[in-house]
Amino acid sequence: MSELDAYRSLYIAESRENHENIVKNLLLLETEASETAIAEIFRSAHSLKGMSASMDFKGMERLCHAMEDVFQEIRNGKLAVSRELMDSLLVASDQIEAMLDDIECGGPGIPPNLDDLENELKRWIGKGGIRGGPESVTPPAAGDTSAPGAESPGMPAGAPRYSLAIQLTDTCDNPNLRAMIILQNLEEVGTIERVIPDRSVVEDGEFGRRFEVEITSDAGLDALKTIATTTDVLSATVTEGGRKTPVPASPPAPVQPLEKEDIRTAKQPEKVEKSREVKNIRVDISRLDSMMNLVEDLVINRGRITEIARGHQIKELDETLNMIGRSVSDLQALMMDIRMIPLSHIFNRFPRTVRDIANREGKEVEFIVEGGDTELDRSVMDGLNDPLLHLIRNAIDHGIERPEVREAAGKPRKGTLLLSARRDRDNVIITIKDDGQGIHAEKVRKKAIEKGLITPEEAQALTREEIIDFLFHPGFSTAEKITDISGRGVGLDVVRTTLESLHGTIKVDSREGEGTTFELLLPPTMAIVNVMMVRINGRRCAIPIHNVVEVAGLDTGNIHTIGGRETILLRDEVMPLDRLDDMFGRSPATEILVVLQHQNRKRTIAVDEIEGQQEVVIKPLSKVVGTVRGISGVTIPGDGEVVPVLDVNSIVSET
Amino acid sequence: MGRILIVDDTLFMRTLLKNILFSGGHDIVGEAGDGDEAIAKYQELKPDLVTMDVVMPKVNGIEALKGIRAIDPNAKVVMCTAVGQEQMVKLAIKTGAKGYIVKPFQAPKVLEEIKNVLSS
Repeated sequence: MSELDAYRSLYIAESRENHENIVKNLLLLETEASETAIAEIFRSAHSLKGMSASMDFKGMERLCHAMEDVFQEIRNGKLAVSRELMDSLLVASDQIEAMLDDIECGGPGIPPNLDDLENELKRWIGKGGIRGGPESVTPPAAGDTSAPGAESPGMPAGAPRYSLAIQLTDTCDNPNLRAMIILQNLEEVGTIERVIPDRSVVEDGEFGRRFEVEITSDAGLDALKTIATTTDVLSATVTEGGRKTPVPASPPAPVQPLEKEDIRTAKQPEKVEKSREVKNIRVDISRLDSMMNLVEDLVINRGRITEIARGHQIKELDETLNMIGRSVSDLQALMMDIRMIPLSHIFNRFPRTVRDIANREGKEVEFIVEGGDTELDRSVMDGLNDPLLHLIRNAIDHGIERPEVREAAGKPRKGTLLLSARRDRDNVIITIKDDGQGIHAEKVRKKAIEKGLITPEEAQALTREEIIDFLFHPGFSTAEKITDISGRGVGLDVVRTTLESLHGTIKVDSREGEGTTFELLLPPTMAIVNVMMVRINGRRCAIPIHNVVEVAGLDTGNIHTIGGRETILLRDEVMPLDRLDDMFGRSPATEILVVLQHQNRKRTIAVDEIEGQQEVVIKPLSKVVGTVRGISGVTIPGDGEVVPVLDVNSIVSET
Repeated sequence: MGRILIVDDTLFMRTLLKNILFSGGHDIVGEAGDGDEAIAKYQELKPDLVTMDVVMPKVNGIEALKGIRAIDPNAKVVMCTAVGQEQMVKLAIKTGAKGYIVKPFQAPKVLEEIKNVLSS
């Protein structure tokens, strides 16, 4: 799988949306002259073109470019919408769909009649012929010039005069735009007296790649030098009173072919059999959710029929119900399976990222990826890319030391970064492990005190783990980067918040000098949640298991009232005790204590009994009910009773 | 290293650009899918730099650039341009855009331009 392949499904999905938008608006345009429709088609064709160019799908890029040009003409009022034009456009849009089908099946998306299709569209803009290539640029329109310099205010007449000669690189994509930016920046520090060739000529791009500027400025030679030495500049010479100061420009950035070659060589020889049969369909994830809900209803009703059947003792009915039961279970498993995609989907993007970061930071990193075939629910996967990127970048930026530092510490020059995933019973565990310098707990402690998050006294009482946990605190690292604390602060609070929204958790284990390991624990799916069923005041209630820390006996002797609130002493820890009276009524027989946790805050609730653990589908509360404090949704186990699911986050967060 | 707001109407382009900028050590503080959102996010997040697509639904990149410069005259906005958009980008530069990057994006060129604009 090449790097670009990782983006393929995103490309296909979004391209289809754009194609649908084109068709919808073309049809609209046939019935009425809608400006919005024209703008929408232009935008979609433009987006399609840009995305295709990025993926190196040349055929698609060319066709969409032609379509974009046609709509540019229409927008500019140079071309009227006619029946015949509509036919051409609809043919082209049909072709776009066919090309997307081909690309989805692994083809290059280049139909044999591409030239004809393209020319058919170009005919409308009176160009004809095949265009020169992807580099050809729409000829610039004349008359778009601003008066050449000399009128900038505020510059004293006696300011020194400089000449600049600027040569742009051959790889500069739009020399005129680059020149305009340089001129604009120069104008901010002085008065441009003259541009050679004339400024309007430069702005139109008809100047080769070299231009000269005469400027009076008080900014000084160095400032002018800095402005002139920017992106795309091969060399810039600044002269003052006959003295020449050549400025070596930064070497032109090596242009990397983005591994596109791989795709081309790999895909072209195998001529993809073009078939009209659609092998894949794209389905909105929310529709799968609805289907999942229906399957769940089926499960519940099957349970109820079974109960009824039991009362009547009809053998045939029992047998049939068993058969239905199996089908329903298979259906449920299949639904879960459809939503699953392998983690390689996002893992494959990382080697490139790691290489780039390591190069930039001057580090040597061996990046090992394991368990890319571990599957996760699509909805969980979507949210995982950014947190993983954060952690990987932190590991290289701040964890792994420079080669010479590593050698001095007796480690191999090359650091090792391991990204691995595995399925562990009900969870998917993703580990990011580096053998860098680890986290200096002492520095974190100082910083936490400095930031006013804890007092020095409190800090003394904390364990190393508790100190390190401050890295996840929202107030710990804001805009300021903490590179001196072997990093690790940058955006970790965001990482934790994101993971929590995916019902996951994150743990860190770090040894000074040896490295840091982050462990992400995720449910493979968000559709099904593991809950603990409890009874409070005789009523059933479900608690998501990932929020439950422990269950203990409730010793009434340990209940103390502090500041008007009940608290409980469990071993050495004092935690608030919540009886949830307002939700369930006061229970006369609470004997069990459940310790809940959200982020780092703990709270206990008292319950009558624990019924057990169960996998359930949580259904959101209907819009009629709206949001209810403390309840995140309801679930319906086999016996058909509606059971509220406790929203631990809101309960724990309440002060 | 800067805090960057990415504005583009396609998730595809945003993802591509995000990964490039991320690998260059930048923090992506936000994303916007159209001009209105871009202005609102700029107001809210005050990023160091904005990458701005030109063609977008509702409010386009040029209007968004104007809106952002009205909030912050020193805003650093880098236009994302494709073949055939020269006139628009010229207009953008005259409106105060500080740089441009060209689609399809080439990571080294993008990062160089971002670095230069951030340090200007």
